[in-house]
Formats: sequence, C-alpha cells, structure tokens
Amino acid sequence: MSTPTTTTYEKHTLNTKKKSQWLDVWKRLKKSRTAVIGLILILVFLMLALFAPFIADYEKDALGMNVKERLQSPSLTHWFGTDEFGRDIFARIVYGTRISLFVGIISVSIALSLGGTLGAIAGYYGGRIDNAIMRVLDVLLAIPTILLAITIVAALGASILNLMIAVGISNIPGFARVVRASVLSVKDQEYIESARAIGARDHTIILKHVLPNSMAPIVVFATLKVASAIMATSSLSFIGLGIQPPTPEWGNMLAGGRAYIRDHMYIVLSPGLAIVLTVLSLNLIGDGLRDALDPKLK
Amino acid sequence: MLIPVMLGVIFLVFFIISLTPGDAASMILGDGATEERIIELRDDMGLDDPLIVQYGRYMWDLLRGNMGDSYSTGRSVAGEIVQRFPNTFKLTVTAIFLSVLISIPIGVISATKQYSLFDNIGMILALVGISMPSFWTGLILIIIFALNLGWFPSGGMKGIMSLVLPAFTLAIASTASITRTTRSSMLEVIRQDYINTAKAKGVSRRKVITRHALGNALIPAVTVIGLEFGILLGGAVLTETVFSWPGIGRLMVESIQRKDTPMVLGCVIIFSLSFSIVNLIIDILYAYIDPRIKANYT
Amino acid sequence: MKDHILEIKDLHIQFNTDEGVVQALNGIDITLERGKTLGLVGETGAGKTTTALSILRLVPRPPGEVVRGSIILDGIPIMEQSEYEMEKIRGKTVSMIFQDPMTALNPVIKVGEQIAEAISIHQKLSKEKSLAKAREVLELVGIPGNRMQEYPHQFSGGMKQRVIIAIALSCSPKLLIADEPTTALDVTIQAQVLELMKELKQKFHMAMVMISHDLGVVAEVCDDVAIMYAGKIVEQGSLEDVFLRTKHPYTEGLFNSIPNIDDRKAELIPIRGLMSDPYNLPSGCPFFDRCDYAMDICRTEKPVKHSFSDTHFTECHLYTAQPEFSLKSKKTKE
Ligand SMILES: Nc1ncnc2c1ncn2[C@@H]1O[C@H](COP(=O)(O)OP(=O)(O)OP(=O)(O)O)[C@@H](O)[C@H]1O
Ligand SMILES: [Mg+2]
Repeated sequence: MSTPTTTTYEKHTLNTKKKSQWLDVWKRLKKSRTAVIGLILILVFLMLALFAPFIADYEKDALGMNVKERLQSPSLTHWFGTDEFGRDIFARIVYGTRISLFVGIISVSIALSLGGTLGAIAGYYGGRIDNAIMRVLDVLLAIPTILLAITIVAALGASILNLMIAVGISNIPGFARVVRASVLSVKDQEYIESARAIGARDHTIILKHVLPNSMAPIVVFATLKVASAIMATSSLSFIGLGIQPPTPEWGNMLAGGRAYIRDHMYIVLSPGLAIVLTVLSLNLIGDGLRDALDPKLK
Repeated sequence: MLIPVMLGVIFLVFFIISLTPGDAASMILGDGATEERIIELRDDMGLDDPLIVQYGRYMWDLLRGNMGDSYSTGRSVAGEIVQRFPNTFKLTVTAIFLSVLISIPIGVISATKQYSLFDNIGMILALVGISMPSFWTGLILIIIFALNLGWFPSGGMKGIMSLVLPAFTLAIASTASITRTTRSSMLEVIRQDYINTAKAKGVSRRKVITRHALGNALIPAVTVIGLEFGILLGGAVLTETVFSWPGIGRLMVESIQRKDTPMVLGCVIIFSLSFSIVNLIIDILYAYIDPRIKANYT
Repeated sequence: MKDHILEIKDLHIQFNTDEGVVQALNGIDITLERGKTLGLVGETGAGKTTTALSILRLVPRPPGEVVRGSIILDGIPIMEQSEYEMEKIRGKTVSMIFQDPMTALNPVIKVGEQIAEAISIHQKLSKEKSLAKAREVLELVGIPGNRMQEYPHQFSGGMKQRVIIAIALSCSPKLLIADEPTTALDVTIQAQVLELMKELKQKFHMAMVMISHDLGVVAEVCDDVAIMYAGKIVEQGSLEDVFLRTKHPYTEGLFNSIPNIDDRKAELIPIRGLMSDPYNLPSGCPFFDRCDYAMDICRTEKPVKHSFSDTHFTECHLYTAQPEFSLKSKKTKE
C-alpha cells in the first residue's frame, strides 16, 4: 500500500497540515488574554537582556561599589534603591535578566537534547533498549530534581557552566519521558510505517517524521521547564552554589540582601519580583500553548 | 522496585560526589598536616582503591547503619541525620497536609464553577503560587509576619509557632499545583457519562460532586501529591536555610560549604529514600481509591 | 383529551459554542400516552439525545440553552420546577438509560451501591434496606445478587447495561427513556437486553421513549414512532402509520437504506448527501438538498405540519398542494 508516490503525497499533505496547524495554534494563543500577557512580559525581559548596555553600565552601575550611597531607598536616581555596597539594584536586575534567561535556555537545551535523544530512542525502539533506559531514568527520578542539581554543583564546584550542566542533567528524566511518550503516540501511524516501508533509515524517520509530528507536548513542556530552570538557577545561587557574587544574579542578590531586610525590605523586593514575573510569564505562555494545542480540554 | 532504585541512587550520588576536587585526607587533617600523616590516612580510608571498591565498602557499612564520619566534626553522619530527620519530617509533612487541605476544596469549587470569578481568581493565584521561589516567599513572610507584625518568630525551631511560617512557605508551591490538577481532573470527570447517570437518578448536585466526581478526580490528584512531595523535599533545603530550621536540608547546605562529603552523601541518600518511600505509599493508596488497580494487586 | 405521560410542545434548544450556535432542536412536538412506547429515530446529530436530556432537564448549560417550548411530564411543567424539585423527579418519575454502558457506570463505586443510591434517595430507606432492595432489582435483570459487591470493570458490556437498566428501574418510574440502549452491545446480547426491557416494561406498566437508529429494534418494541431530522420531528404516527403508510421522503429513505429479508434482491438505496451543517441550517426544509421530491418551495419555506389522522402527521410541502400524494417507494407500496 505504500508506494513512493503515496508517501510523497502524504508528506505533502502532512506538511501543509502541519503549517496550518501551527497557524491555528497561534490564532488560538492570541485569543487567550493570559497567554498574551505572558508573551508581552517575556518580550520585555528579552528586551532588557538584549539592550542592557544601553540601560545601564555594567562596570560602573552593576558592579561598581559606592559606600557613600549604600542602602538607599528607591528614588529617581536609583529606581529600585541601592544595595549594601551602594550598587544600583535596577542595573543589577537588568544584567541579572541576561544570566537568568541565558542559563534557563541553555540548561533546558542540554536537557532537551540529551533527554530527548534518550526518550526518542527508548520510544522508537521499545523492548529491551526502552527498558534499560527507563530503569536508569527511574534512578534519576528518585532524586528530587533540585537536590540532584545541588549535588552536582556541590561536587563540580560553583560556576556558571557547572550550574547549567547541573540544571540540565537534573531535567533529563523529565524530557526523556515526555519525548518518549509523544514518540510512542505517533510511532505506529501510517505515514511512519510507509516511510519505513520505502526503506528510510531509522534516524531519518525519527528526525524527519516522528519528532516533527510529536512536537506539541514537547514545546509546552520545554516552555514550562525554562521557567523552572530559572527558578532552580536562582535557588542554587541563593544558597551560594550558583552564580557567585559580585556577578549580579537575582538569587544571589536576595542572598546578599537578606541580612538587611529588617530596615531595608526593598532590597529583596525587586529581585524576587523579577523572578516571579519571568517565571510567571513563561508559565502563562506554557499554559496558553497547552490549551491552544489541545482545544478540547480547557 | 525500591531496593534496586535505591542501590542505583546511592551509586550515582557516590559517583557524582567522588568528582569533588581536592583530597579528603588533607582536608580532614587541616593545613598543618605532614605528608606522611596524609598518606597514612589516605591508606586507612582506602581513598586510592578503585571507585567500585570504595562503593562496595560504603554499601557494606551502610547496611550496618554506618554512613561514615563527618570530615569537619568527626561525628557519625548517621547519628547527625537521625537527630535532624524528625525536624525535616515535621516540616514537610505539615506542609503537605496544609497543601492538600487547602488545594482539594479550592480545586473542586473552581471546577464546578468554571469561569466564575472564584475560578478565575483562584487560577491566577495558583499560577502566581507556582511561580514564586520559596526562599523569596519566605523572606517576604518574615518581613510581614515576623519583623512587622511580630506574630511568629523569624527563624529557629522553638514550639509550634515557629513551624507556621516555614510550613506555609513550603506549602505554597505544592498547594498551587495540586489545586490546578484537582481542578482539571475534576473538569474532566464532570463531563463523564456516569455523572449524567448519577444526576438522572436524582442525586443532588452536592452529592454528585462529593460522591461521584471527587472519588474519580482524586486519582490523578494523588499522583501529583506524590510528585509534589519530591519537590517539597527539595524546597525544604531552601526553606530550612531561610528560616534557620535545623533539618536535613540546612545540614546539607552547611556540609556543602564545609566540603563535608560524607555528610552531603548521607543527606542526599536520606532525601531520596524518603521520596521513594512516599511514592511507595502513594502506590498503595492508589489501590485503595481505584478499584481497577486493586484488582491487579490481588 | 387522552391522559398523556409526556407532552413536549415547540421545543427549541441551541448550543452556544465558541465556533457558533448549534441549533440542535428546532420546534419539537411529542406526545406520549401512559404505558405506551415511542420510538425516536434519526441519524447521528439529529438531536435525539438532546431531546431525551431536555425531559430530565439535564442538557448541559452552558453551552445548552432552551430558547422556548414547554415540557409537561406526568402533569408537571418541567421548565418551571426548581432544581431541588427536579432532583425528586429524576429517577422517580422519569429515568434514563444512556447511550454507552461502558462509560455510564461510576468506576469507583460498587455496583450494588450504585443501584441502592437511587432507592435510598427516592424511597427514603435505610442503607441496609436499600441494598436489599437493590439486590432484588439486580436479580430481576438477571444478575446474581452476590455480584453486588463488585465494581463495574468486573462486568461485561451486556451485564453493565443490565445494571444500568436496574438503576433506571429501581424506583419504578412512569417513564423510561432509553438512549440507544443496545447499539454498543454485540448482536446476541442486544436481543437479550431488548427482550428484558420489553418484559420489564410490561411488568412495571411504564411508558418508554426508545431512541434508536435501528428500525428493526423500533418495529419490535414500539407502539408509536417519531422520525427526527435536523432537530425536527418530520413524521410521527403509530408503528403501522409510519411503517406501512410512510409519508415523509426522509422516512422512505431510511427504509430504503436497510436490507429487506423478504426481498433480498431489492437494491439498497442509501440517502444521498449528508445532514445539513447544524451551525448553519438552511432557511427552507433542511432535507431539501437530499430529497428526491424536492420542489422550489422547499428551498425557501419551512414545511408545515400536515395531519393524516389523529395520530399520524408529517412536515412536508408535498402534501400542501396534493394531500393525496403518495411516495413512489417499493417498500411502502405493499
Ligand atoms: N454539549 C454540546 N455542545 C455543543 N453541541 C452539542 C452538545 N451536545 C449536542 N450538541 C450538538 O447538538 C446536535 C444534536 O446532538 P445529539 O447528541 O442530540 O444528537 P443524537 O441524535 O443523539 O446523535 P447520536 O445518534 O450520534 O447520538 C449535534 O449537532 C451536536 O453536535
Ligand atoms: Mg445521542
């Protein structure tokens, strides 16, 4: 039943179907007020990260200590006030955005590529390979995610690279599971069978046919995981295992300001709000995407 | 299942920790130690044996309840953990109870009044709830309820009052996600045919919800409660740090700072073991609420 | 006027969805005498389930909305009752058997308790007494009483349907609505379940609305037949009226599309086309574009009711001009 002609035909209709499907998703996403709020928020943060040097000077404002101006309340010159070393909190938050988004995205990419490969292999081949991979993942899953990340950084030492590795590795099992499940859900469909019947190689099938058609849940999951990776980054920095001072990062800003909350609560207010808003915007987008991809639930 | 997974966990954590740079023997002996003393101690501790041999030795000791001695205080790791564990237990169990108690009713009401004001506000709060980093929430609660209002102590563990803020802090994220799960599974369930059957029998609206819908909606909620417990254990590390709560989480952070590897290892193992045991309990609980699974067990 | 258990007048129901408004029911009239059985026939999407649910006032709301119309059940105006009063009516005066037995029972409650629940609600009996009575009802539908303690997943499809029938009959309702009670079952079980329903109907002197798209089932159990199309009753009458003196082209089409045992050489003529889009019903007769007899007027104007006897009527333009018109069908021409 699967001559080459039918497959090209099927591939063709499939591709157009896919395009219009994503267009539909975008249309539905636009209709969701909360998702749009999320998109706008994350756009603002992306802009801040991108144009940070135009907003404040890294050396002078974010790092430069100025004891005379320490612990000042928010004012027109220092929008969010100054910290215990007299540094401008707003400037530090802006530069912190860069780190948070960068670490969040890179560590999710690590988790997605490693976990995704494992999951795709497990789902596609099934049987013993699947079993072996899943047993190893069971072990990883038995360690609470953030604790695994803490352990890895504790052993490797605190640095931005190790932080990304740690957060990335600790998220591998989650991605492996999601990718495996979505591969399983498309693997036995006809177009895959027909691709196999005309002798396509396994990795071609996985990359060209299986993954593109099982993207939806993976995209949603990845969005939500960038949010939790950003949260994990700041958590680790807060306990001294992530980005080290004086580099500005929201978590280590909170750790530094902690001693002054009795009289200067603003010092912990804005870095925390920055975390909440970034994570919230990604969660809003992830939720919106999920509803847009699966309109029958809601 | 529990035992092979735990063996895997211990091996993995043992391996990760062994990547720690620096020499344990010179660390224990301090700066003034002679070369011979260090070599002697390395020999004593078997630090030059292959990793797998060291792992075997560790397991052998572990089976007899020996987790080694702290590098920094020299005290028994197992002893320290046994002493601290009840505190973490108290904190996490209180938090999970709080979460369940708050989240299930809110989730149910939200679902039965979908798109109402209650539902909308509830869902926004839940989304904000999962977007707040617990260490920041903790700081904010300290500022409001300890430093300003003075209702609760800002840290330490003295009496029931000191449990309130940390337990609430820890409970927020899991409350939010259990609420969301309860709501969405409830929404799914109230569309089912058997709900119509119940209504057609003349069952009152309230009983349709409490007796017919909730029993089914709890099944996915229980899964999430189990997963949330893992996240909550991770969160305990941060919450305990913020509130100076003398539990395993804070012990772990302190031990990492002191490069006290046996202690770190012990903490991760005890966390993972607790998580695995909780999941085991959840599995058993499942059989009670879902007769279809009970059939498979007996 | 006869004593009616059910009178539906000019019922309009629509569903307001994100994609648009579905006009599910567009002026339904149904009357049913006590103790009689009405067959409600129509293809998928015709509005059969919606009609049934509206009698129990269980049309999901939102998206459902009753635009206008009245339903009198056993003398009670259903639309005017409070929710609390409806709870007392459901299960006692009228009960319903749903389309799919596989999903109609609660998976986490014991079968016996699901039956006993209705009994304890309406007869205000203690738990033990309701359970004892539930056991009797279960045995009545042919399931041994010792299976009371089991859960639905331990039952086969046919047995589940028996349990559902037991639930529906547990309080001896005056009207039983059965929404395709046998379509989800395999053929041998279908016959058994149907036989059981006929028997129990006699025993309890119930009236029944039997929803089906299987004319064979209808012929077997019904006294009256109503044919539904796109949210309207296009023809209604006694079994003989509708089967032997078919008036509506759609009814004729239904007969022509099922095999006839007596005349197996007769060719099957499926109704061409599909039912009109429920989001966008035509302004004239909804059957217009599928009808072999269509005239110009059918496109523009809604057909009106045309009676042939006290009980037999149809809604079709064919009879406005020529009251004596007769359809060409081979099967109706005896
Ligand atoms: N909850 C709902 N929301 C939106 N539309 C609905 C809903 N329920 C029914 N409809 C629509 O109303 C129309 C009538 O549906 P109904 O279920 O009454 O048909 P039916 O005759 O019972 O069909 P079937 O033989 O498939 O059971 C259909 O077009 C259907 O799509
Ligand atoms: Mg139906």
